[in-house]
Parts: sequence; structure tokens; C-alpha cells
Amino acid sequence: MKGQIALGLLAFLALMGVLVLVGVGEPNRMAEFTAAYDSRQIETGASLFEQSCRPCHGPQGQGIGGVAPALNAPDLFDGSRLAAVGFSGTLPDYVRGVIAAGRPVPSAGTNYPQRMPTWGAEYGGPLRADQVDALVAFVLNWEGRALAGGSAATPAPTGPTVGADIGVALPAGDAARGKALSEGGLGCTGCHVLAAVGPSWPADGGEPGVGARAETRFQASGYTGKATSSEQYLFESTVLPNAYVVDGFQPNIMPQNFAERLSAQDTADLLAYMLSLR
Amino acid sequence: MAIFRLHIPMLDEVKQKGLRPALKDKWVDVVTRVTAGLSPDDMRGVLRDDTPGRPNPRLTPHAEGFWLHMKPTYYHRMVDGLYPTFRLGWLSTFFGVFEIVTGIYLMIYYTPSPLVAYENMLNLLSNVPFGQVMRDMHRLAAELMVIVVVLHMLRTFITGSYKKPRQFTWATGVVLLFVTLVLSFSGYLLPWDQLSLWAVTIGASMVEAIPPEVVGRNVNLLVRGAPEFGANGLLRFYLLHVVALPLAGIVAFGVHYYKVIHHGHSLPPEAEKVGEDTAKRVPMDSRVYFMPQILTRELWYVSGLLAILFAAAAYLYNAPALEPHANPLITPLHTTAPWYFLWLQGMLKVGDKVVWGLIVPGLLTGLLLVLPYLEVGPSRRYGDRRIGLSLAALFVAAMAMLSYMGTPHYAVSTSPDQEAVAELLPQTHPGPLRSAPWEDLAYGSFEASAWAAAPNATLQDLLREFDDVLTNVQSAGRTDVAGVMVIEDWQTDLKKVTLRVTWTNVPDGTAGEFSQSVYLHRNGNYGEGA
Amino acid sequence: MSDAGVQTAPGAEAGVPLSRREFLNYLWGASMAVFLAGGGGVTLWYALPRFREGEFGGVFTLPITNLPAPDSPPADFPDGRFWLVNVGDGTLQDPRQPKDYPLEPGVKALYKVCVHLGCLYKWVPTNDRFECPCHGSKYLKSGARIDGPARRNLDVFFVEVLDASGNVLSRSEPVMGSQEASSVVIPPEAVALRIDTGRRVTGASNSKPGGGI
Repeated sequence: MKGQIALGLLAFLALMGVLVLVGVGEPNRMAEFTAAYDSRQIETGASLFEQSCRPCHGPQGQGIGGVAPALNAPDLFDGSRLAAVGFSGTLPDYVRGVIAAGRPVPSAGTNYPQRMPTWGAEYGGPLRADQVDALVAFVLNWEGRALAGGSAATPAPTGPTVGADIGVALPAGDAARGKALSEGGLGCTGCHVLAAVGPSWPADGGEPGVGARAETRFQASGYTGKATSSEQYLFESTVLPNAYVVDGFQPNIMPQNFAERLSAQDTADLLAYMLSLR
Repeated sequence: MAIFRLHIPMLDEVKQKGLRPALKDKWVDVVTRVTAGLSPDDMRGVLRDDTPGRPNPRLTPHAEGFWLHMKPTYYHRMVDGLYPTFRLGWLSTFFGVFEIVTGIYLMIYYTPSPLVAYENMLNLLSNVPFGQVMRDMHRLAAELMVIVVVLHMLRTFITGSYKKPRQFTWATGVVLLFVTLVLSFSGYLLPWDQLSLWAVTIGASMVEAIPPEVVGRNVNLLVRGAPEFGANGLLRFYLLHVVALPLAGIVAFGVHYYKVIHHGHSLPPEAEKVGEDTAKRVPMDSRVYFMPQILTRELWYVSGLLAILFAAAAYLYNAPALEPHANPLITPLHTTAPWYFLWLQGMLKVGDKVVWGLIVPGLLTGLLLVLPYLEVGPSRRYGDRRIGLSLAALFVAAMAMLSYMGTPHYAVSTSPDQEAVAELLPQTHPGPLRSAPWEDLAYGSFEASAWAAAPNATLQDLLREFDDVLTNVQSAGRTDVAGVMVIEDWQTDLKKVTLRVTWTNVPDGTAGEFSQSVYLHRNGNYGEGA
Repeated sequence: MSDAGVQTAPGAEAGVPLSRREFLNYLWGASMAVFLAGGGGVTLWYALPRFREGEFGGVFTLPITNLPAPDSPPADFPDGRFWLVNVGDGTLQDPRQPKDYPLEPGVKALYKVCVHLGCLYKWVPTNDRFECPCHGSKYLKSGARIDGPARRNLDVFFVEVLDASGNVLSRSEPVMGSQEASSVVIPPEAVALRIDTGRRVTGASNSKPGGGI
């Protein structure tokens, strides 16, 4: 029984030794965990951004002209956007508020035809509070690069643009390239594929895809445009969106400036892709 | 004139005996009262292991005090050591108390709401000194307690200690087993990460299957507080875990332990005549007294266990790292139930949910409860119980096999391309890609088959592993299987890694593709295990 | 069962020598006591709340641009529950300032809670002083009480002035026997202020009408 007493004593001494060893390392461990978790928050934010924000703000946050402002931009991080918009709080609060509550009214000095939707659950959106925080962390992580140059909206193409004359002849189009264009910086998918802001491009419910619909749309009564072929119809819908607005949709929502943003080849590729969607 | 005269008895004693003797007598008096019968000299005698005087003062705390009123004053020499009980009942109690204490510590920093529970866990791990070790100890002891409780039940069965007159003790033991399992299950939900939510959802969905449908539906609503787990469910499970089950456990333990002491610890089967129970009639020369022998032994066990548990939790064992926040819309691939419920998962894979998920487990529990009333053979000797012992061995083997069948890798998989990607990028733990050193993930596009040409050892290992699992995608229906890993610079200290599997479908020559991306930050620290 | 050679009658007197067993038991008991004490310490460390940077109770680091100009009205920091005051010559020469308290130019972080019964006092520009709406205690920009039922000057938070590499250039010093903290001088290389809302310095006694000890 004496052995038990001695071992019991040793056990308590060992226990206290472990307590001290653990205690000494605690401040470090806690700091490491905090840093690790902050990093993982950015990772979560990145994948949320890819799913929810890329269609309008672009994959690298560069924004899409006429659709959504650039986030990877110096004016967001140096205070000038907050000043222009008239926001008096901190940048994290601004970003969090915009993501969670959306933009029911356009920001001062901006003219985006689309309102940013609400994302936060407390305002009826699909994201939990921690997901909104993750997105905020991701957006704020652009600070270094944004201040070093970032990007404004996708730049206008160099060289001549296609213009608004739908009678002009276009080169042969490559549907695969057109698909890539539509999913990239132009933002087509944001309204025509991922959301129902504009007429759906792929077949949807009973409706055929936009390529099939184009064949009959320009011949239907009620058509107010000037197209004489399905390709021209789609061309007109892109560069002169208000010429004819499909029933159930609104004018002045689609950006009006694609005529000045697309080159002839880009337009041909996009039309080829759209025509392939039956 | 009624004068109020102050009468202090202590001062009278001082006047009588002198200051020092009066103080000493007072001290002796206080100690004897506090210990319910042991004077300081008696206590010293206990520490010295002297022969006690007559009447034995060391029996008085048991007879007159509260704390030792159920503890026996002596044990039989044959049952005071590790054999035949291995002190598993004592160990179960120890773990129960340990869990209550560590649980109370954790309660200081936890609120059972889905809005903050996960953040509370993060806070506990990142901003509370000893927070991680407290959580790890609670988790470790919980898992050990389930094991110990089951071993205790097995031991009691093997030594036949459930037989007359101890049948009801066994029944309360089954109740305690149930309480332990549900305590473990209810606690599982509290961190509110993906593992918590989905493991418990899988377990609780059994309840929904209770026939008839109206009963199952309503019991499910009662248990979860809603059709699916959310704020109500978390709160109900929390209340179960910290109030209802501990109370039930303490009451059941009280009955259980009282009965154990009332009948006495049963002797090893070979030490008694068949059919006899002499546990309460301990001859004088076979007595091992609580004070000091058993007390010392138990304190020694406490010391050793505390040291082992703390050291193990600090250095060897880590509670599973928090997975991402619970998401009711996404079930991770290869989600698994807690290991002590894998046997149930295994049974569900055998056949119908109602039969194998409710009826069979229900029958098993019922059988356990009434076992002592059915198995009434008088002998506890091992030789006379070959059938029973073989059945027990068979039962253990069956549980083990069912548990293996319950693991996700048995008969549950999605398409091989998703499985291939999930090897590198699992959804339930970090996996090789996330744990790889961040610096070694060079930018570029790397084909799995060209793994030998990768720029560094880390990428070579990852790509070779990718290439190996891609052979599973190759099959009668798929040829030209290729895999590629693309690593891009995405943001400051953030890389985007995409794994893509492409193949050609054999019958019609169409191309198939599956890809998955993950973003990795320099400081994500997945390799460190926390 | 007893230790060899040390047999004693039951109920032995204290004069009996210590046996090895007894001694070990005492050591064991002592180790348990030390463990309990240590465990108590760990429990305290575990349970005491911690405040991160930017949380009230923790440290607030502000760029020096947040400091108001000398003698201008105080700057409000509701998150930290303090007013940032820049004591300049005008404040030093304010005729209302009671003579009993040393006052130097520099920055002070005044705790927003009135030292009478805990209400939040307001800054009243027209009277150029703080006034508490609950029972009417009035204080100057320097934190000195000049009127009302409060019995001491305003409490301040510990302030440090940092340069670009994070070194502490100057900090609050106790005056008047560790009551009342001095204003903190801002050297030219100052880049940031660090206000520790976990460390509060009580104001000096002040109960004379018009202010004073």
C-alpha cells in the first residue's frame, strides 16, 4: 500500500507538471489557432464568392461595367468610395452591411440598373451571419493588391467595337469561345442563366433555349424590332436591348452599352453560342 | 431590571483548563464533528495504518456521516483488487464525475443557439486559456466512459453477477448504459459543426421511422423540436445533456450503487458453492477496511487517472478538429455516425429501416433488461455457463462486424470520379491536399500521369496519389481517364486548387468531366491537427 | 500492517515519531493541496473574461489623427466608452480649474461613466464642460470636478503613445500618490495612441464646492 501512496504522490506531481507545461504554451497556441481560423474564413469566403458573387462582380472582383462595381479596386480601400457614397462607418462595416442588406436603393453617384440583392439571413437572404463574415474577410483580403493597382471595371476592348447596326456582317462565330465569354467578365450568366432577371438562355421548364426561341420570336406579332433572321434578332437583343422587350420583362435593365464593349468577333462568338442553346 | 448577560461557553473552558488545552480540545472537537467521528489522533492513525482501537472509530463516519453512508466499511479480500471486477464500476463512476466537472467548465463558455454555438467553440479554442485541453478531456473521457461502461457490463455478465439476488441491480445498470449512450449522443450535437449536425441527424432519423407514421412523426417533432435540427433541437439536446440525463443518471446510479452495497460485491464464481451468495458474510480475516486500505487505493486511482487523462488530452489526443459550420443544405460525403452507434448504422444497411433500426435494437435492449429474470441457472462458474459465455462472445463479435459495416466505406460510395477527388480533398477531414505545405504548391497545371515530373516532392506525392486513385475510375464504361491539378494565384496568400477528372464514356464516345476546387490560405494550418 | 518497529497504542499522542507511511501520506496530501491551489489558479485564468483589441475591456489602438486639436472639444469613442481630450494651454489657464490638481498639457482618455452613480455624462459646448444629466455633476475638459454630488475627479484609462515601430514613447504616470493620472505628452514621432480600457485610474478626491480637496 505504501507503493500506492508514493505513486499517487508522483501522479499529482506529474499532473502539476503537465498543467504548467500546457499553461506556458497556451498564449502561443491560442494566437496560432486564431490566425489559422482567420485564414480559413478567407478560404470559405473565396468559395462563397465564386458561387454567389462572381456572376456580377467578376471572378477577380474586377466588376462588370454596367452591372456591378469593382471590389478589387483602390478606391474601395483608400476611403474614396466610402466618401463618395457618403458612408461614415468603417470599411468592414460597409462591406458587411452591403452584403447582408443589399442595395434597395442605388448608392449615391452610381447608376447600376440592377439592385444588389440581400444576402443576409436576417433580411431574407440565403447566407448565415458567419458566411457573410467569411465573404467580408475575403473581400477585405484584396486590400494589398487593390491598393497596388487592382482593376476598375473590365476594360473596353482595344480595337473597333461592333456598333449598333444589326445589319452589319459578322465573322464566323465559335460557340465554345462564346460560352467562355458569357461566363467571364461580361456577366451574361448573372442575369440569363443563374438568375431570372432576363429571359433564360438554356431551356427552362416548357420553354426551349434562346437559340430555338429566336427562330420564331422575330416573326411573332407584337415584335417591335427590325431583325430579319434569328441571328439578327439575338444581335439586336444584345446591342439594342430596348428595341423589343419580351413580355414579362422590363426595359432599361440590360446594360445598354454592349455595342461599345464588344468586338465583332466577340459578338459573333456569343451569337453562335446562343444559337446553339436549344 | 433584566440585564442581558452574554454567555460564551468557550471562555468558561479557557478559565477552567487554561488557554492552550482549551484550544486543543476545541480543535479536537471540531475535527471530530467535521469528519463525523474521527478525532485528529484517529486520523493520524489512519494515515499511519495503525491498528484501530475498539470500538473502531473508523466505522463511525460510515454510520453517522452523509458522504460515506453508502460506502461499505470493509470489502472482501477477494474483490478489493483488480480481479475479478477490474474496478470497472468504480471507473465508470469516476468518469461520470469527471465529465460533470469538465462539463461545467465548458458550460461557462457555451450558449446552445445555432447563431453562436459554433462561434463559442471557436472562442473556447482561440481565446480561453486551457480551453482546448478542457474540450479534449471532456471528449476523451466521454469516449472512454462508453467503453468502460460496456466492459463493466461484459464483466458482470461473465462473472454471473447478475443472478439472484442481484437481478434488479443489472436492470438499473442497463438504464445507466442507456443514459451513458444518450448523454454521449446528445453532447455530440453541441459544437454545431457539420459532423455534429449530420451524425446526429442520421442517428435521430431512426426516431422518425417509428410506426405508425403519426407516432413517428410526433416523436421526431418532440425530439428535434422541428422537422429538422435547428434552434429548437439544439436547445432540447442541450437540456437533455446537462439537466435531464445527468439527473436520471444520478438517480439510477443511486439505486444501482445502493443495491450493489446492499447485496455486497459478488465474489469470484469459483470462490463460492454453486447457488450460494456469501458476499455479505465476510469473515474477519478476509476483511479489507475502507480506511485506510480502500481509501488509499481509490485515491491512488484518482491521482493516476487524472494525470493520465490530462496528459493524454494535452499531448496524445485531440478531439476531432472543428469541421465547418453546420449547414443544413449540404451533407458531406462519407459522413459517419459516432463510433458507438456504428453497429446501428450497420444494421440499417442490412435491411428495412423499421425492422433493423427500431425493432431489433428494441428487442435487444428488452432482452438485456430481462436477462437476469430469464437466465436463472444457479451456477456462476465459468464451466457451467459455456452456452451463455459463448453467446456473449458471439454477441461481441456480431457488434464488431456490424460496426465495421456501419463505416462509410462499406457499401456507400458515389461515382468513382467523385471518390477519386475525395481521396485528396475529403469532406470530413483535411486530407492530403489541405495538409500539404502551402509553399510547395507551385502555380501551374499538372497532369496526374506526369507526377514524376512535378517540381517538388510534395506535388509528386499528391499527384501520384491522385494518379493511383484514378485507376479506380477506369472501368468497363470509362476509358481515357485523365486527371489534372491546376494551382492558381488567387489573392494575397490565397491559392485556388482545382482537381479535374476527365474520361470518355465507352458506349457513345461522349466526354465526361468532374471537377472540384478548393481555396487554400498560407496560414490555414490544416497539417497541425487543430 | 503498521510500519515495522513503530508499534503504538491506539489513539497515540502527538509525541509519537513520524512513520514513513504517515510522512508519505502527508506529502501526498500536500501535493493534492498544491494541485487544488494550482487548479484553482488555472480555473481563474480559464474563467476570467478576456477582451480582444477593439472590445471594451481590451485595448484600443488609434492613429494619432484621431486626436482632437489642443483645447478643442473632446472626441467621442463610444465603443471604448471614453472621451479623448487634448489638454492645451487654454485648458491649463481655465479659471474654473481647481488649484489642487497638477495639470500638464497632453492627452487624457476620460471614462464616460460619471463617478457619482454611474450615468453617462454629456459634453455641453455652450458651457464648455461635461454635465451629468442624472444629478448634475459637472466636470471640466481636464476631468476635474467643479460642481455637483460627485466626490472625485473623472476616472481615466491608461494611455500609451506609440511610434511607428510600436515602441512606447510616453505613457500615463500616477500623480498624487497613484490616484489621478497625468496627461500624456505627444512627442513629434508619435504615430498611434493605445488606450487600455482594462486599466482604469481613479480620479483624485474632490469634494469642495467649486472643486478641490
